[in-house]
Amino acid sequence: MFNNYETSSFFDEVFTDSSVRPHYRAVLEAMNSLNPQDYAVRQRSADNAFLRQGVTFNVYGDEQGTERIFPFDLMPRIVPRKEWQRIEAGLVQRITALNLFLNDVYHGQKIISDGVVPAELIESASHYRPEFRGVKVPHNIYVHICGSDLVRDGSGEYYVLEDNGRCPSGASYMLENRNAMKRAFPGLLQSLPVRPVDSYGALLRETLTHLAPPGVLDPVVVVLTPGVYNSAYFEHCYLAKQMGVPIVEGRDLIVRQDRVFMRTTHGMQQVHVIYRRIDDDFLDPLVFRKDSLLGVPGLVKSYYSGHVALANSIGTGVADDKAVYACVPKMIKYYLDQDPILPNVPTYLGIDPKECGYILDNLENLVVKAVNESGGYGMLMGPQSTAEEREAFAGCIRANPRNYIAQPVLALSRHPVFVGDHFEGRPIDLRPYVLYGDRIRVVPGGLTRVALRKGSLVVNSSQGGGSKDTWVLWDGLAKPAETPKAA
Amino acid sequence: MLSRVADSICWLARYMERAENISRLLLSTQDLLLDAGAEAADVTQFWEPLLLATGDDAAYATLYPAITGIGVAEFLTLREENPNSMINSVRAARENARTVRDQISDELWECVNSLRLFLESQDARAMLLHQPAAFYERVLLSSYQFQGIAGSTTPRGEIWHFLCLGMMLERADKVSRLLDTCSAVSTEMTPHPGSRPLRWAALLRSCSAWHALHTISARLDPVKIIEFLMINETFPRSFEYCVTEVHRTLEALCLSLPASAEMHKPARLAGRLAADLRYSTVDEILAAGLHDFIDDFQTRLNMIGTAVFETFVLYAENAPAAEDPLVPPASWQPGAWHHAAELDVQTQQQQQ
Repeated sequence: MFNNYETSSFFDEVFTDSSVRPHYRAVLEAMNSLNPQDYAVRQRSADNAFLRQGVTFNVYGDEQGTERIFPFDLMPRIVPRKEWQRIEAGLVQRITALNLFLNDVYHGQKIISDGVVPAELIESASHYRPEFRGVKVPHNIYVHICGSDLVRDGSGEYYVLEDNGRCPSGASYMLENRNAMKRAFPGLLQSLPVRPVDSYGALLRETLTHLAPPGVLDPVVVVLTPGVYNSAYFEHCYLAKQMGVPIVEGRDLIVRQDRVFMRTTHGMQQVHVIYRRIDDDFLDPLVFRKDSLLGVPGLVKSYYSGHVALANSIGTGVADDKAVYACVPKMIKYYLDQDPILPNVPTYLGIDPKECGYILDNLENLVVKAVNESGGYGMLMGPQSTAEEREAFAGCIRANPRNYIAQPVLALSRHPVFVGDHFEGRPIDLRPYVLYGDRIRVVPGGLTRVALRKGSLVVNSSQGGGSKDTWVLWDGLAKPAETPKAA
Repeated sequence: MLSRVADSICWLARYMERAENISRLLLSTQDLLLDAGAEAADVTQFWEPLLLATGDDAAYATLYPAITGIGVAEFLTLREENPNSMINSVRAARENARTVRDQISDELWECVNSLRLFLESQDARAMLLHQPAAFYERVLLSSYQFQGIAGSTTPRGEIWHFLCLGMMLERADKVSRLLDTCSAVSTEMTPHPGSRPLRWAALLRSCSAWHALHTISARLDPVKIIEFLMINETFPRSFEYCVTEVHRTLEALCLSLPASAEMHKPARLAGRLAADLRYSTVDEILAAGLHDFIDDFQTRLNMIGTAVFETFVLYAENAPAAEDPLVPPASWQPGAWHHAAELDVQTQQQQQ
């Protein structure tokens, strides 16, 4: 099944030019022991299980067949212990710095007065909430759940592509993918020291419980969803179930005397912590968008007064701005006096006149991104673009340089995926989940996304991406999977 | 439990029960016709009551030129335009289940979702055409599976009570509608023991009551059938059984409410209805007029349904100690998801 598999000119996760990476040997052996028909049968049965379980998302603007499964590839992505330890340390460092940054931005703004980050950059970030300055949040934590996207370049180095400090999604797929693998390859999973991810729900609940107002011993935690028609409703429900807490919509909640209550069959019950999966804009019609029917009038005031906690906090999107992202290495240096363990992808800022000129001169070699878009939208992939597209983008950049950044096109690392009756290499990324409560925890695993379309570099589910299970190995001394082969 | 969740769970059970009843109704009618064929009976008289029982005869007439077996079967099962069709009921059940997925067991959710996937598949359509009995049995099995999973995975708390409530209210309503289609049929016994009152036989089968009745009455005496379906205490589809279950469930639910001097309204209404059935005789019912009695029964069932909604779903609104007047949420009506405004869809989708 791996005949004619191309490995040249990319970093391939499984193969070096001449051999198999040691931590993939067992998996490769297992895959090779199957014929394409057997493999396809397992793949189909995994797909059917996802459909039956309703592990699906909805495609907007598509009237018919709006329900899709997130394509899943059975061959797992493997991260050996040493690589994972570095990723883990890098993510802990990063979420620490991001939280110090947000606390600073919403209080004294020392990072600006010390000239590390220009005031203009912060103030023009669209998710910056100036009205939120001076508000004390529980334990000074703003981002409790973070899902940074990591990629590897041609040399195999890990880079942070973006931080998702608002409502990172996909954790449910990480958990469901592992369940699918348990069904499809039970023996293989058992034979390797794969670290479990199923504690995510419990850890998330602990993280949220930590936020409860002082003196509340047994806080009521809820997940706030926009509702059943939201594309991520499955995930909201799934996480609520994993945590054993209710899932609520805005209309289930009501604020009285700055306290939040939910409407139950027994009357009103006070809520202490809300894991909200609604954007800031929709959270409270009294403060943000007046036309929002999803939010809860008075919620923000209740939050300000400390009677209810929100995760993530309000205004964390300022750190998701792609131009602010570019400053994270500086933040790490400034707040922690450390060098970043995980580097950023080199980024050119439109707001900087010199770098803007460089962007405009090199459009065909760069990936240009609008700073506030996500999900693979608002992007120009230079090398694949037409002259007209570049011209249109150049116009946008000149009109509003603050709104754009550019990065070199990374030769993303590739991983085999099953196509028809054989394996082909496709670009992948990795989204691990970091939880910041009484301490910082990184769940050993994550969502590996794959650009399934041949030639595509975009891994987002809305753009033809799929996913894989991610196996973080606890390859201790007894099983030296990392030991290089004798020369 | 959230009020909204209670409502959805109740409707989940109702819609599953509705789909089951449609299936049984069609299966029994079809079986009976196979027997009746030799007697050259008019087929319309068998299919029409099905439409009357669901109250959809007018809607049917706009879609089909004549009442035929195939037409009625399609209309009641897979027809999209019929809001009460099986496929739409199962979809509604599934949407309600999806809304409360965190509250019910994974197995229960998968059962409902699998049935929905089956009904939407091409296989289902082909099966309905070529092997209708197998199709109906497949749906019946799913419903039994649903009840079995619910029974073996649901803690006996509020969720369980609301499931029972939805199922029993729906069942009582459907059985009463079926019986009502026979209320104009003569209750005279046929003179020869060998000949069968076909309409009554069809009724019995569509309530799964054929064998149960035969253990207590050898001949198909219409009066006995009416008695059995209305006031038998042991048969799980009789009026009395269903209402007694509703009453028991409501008492259990009201136990957890704060005590009030006045007994809670839903339990009071259900208790009174159960008592009325329990202490009635079939002769009294027939003297009062079967149709009128059933009409009154249905009105009172609806009142119980409304009282349940007001007590448990809107309870939080009515709870005392509000210093500021509360406005109930605009999009909140019984029946959960499917009444939700189109607007909901749009606004919810704006979120990442």
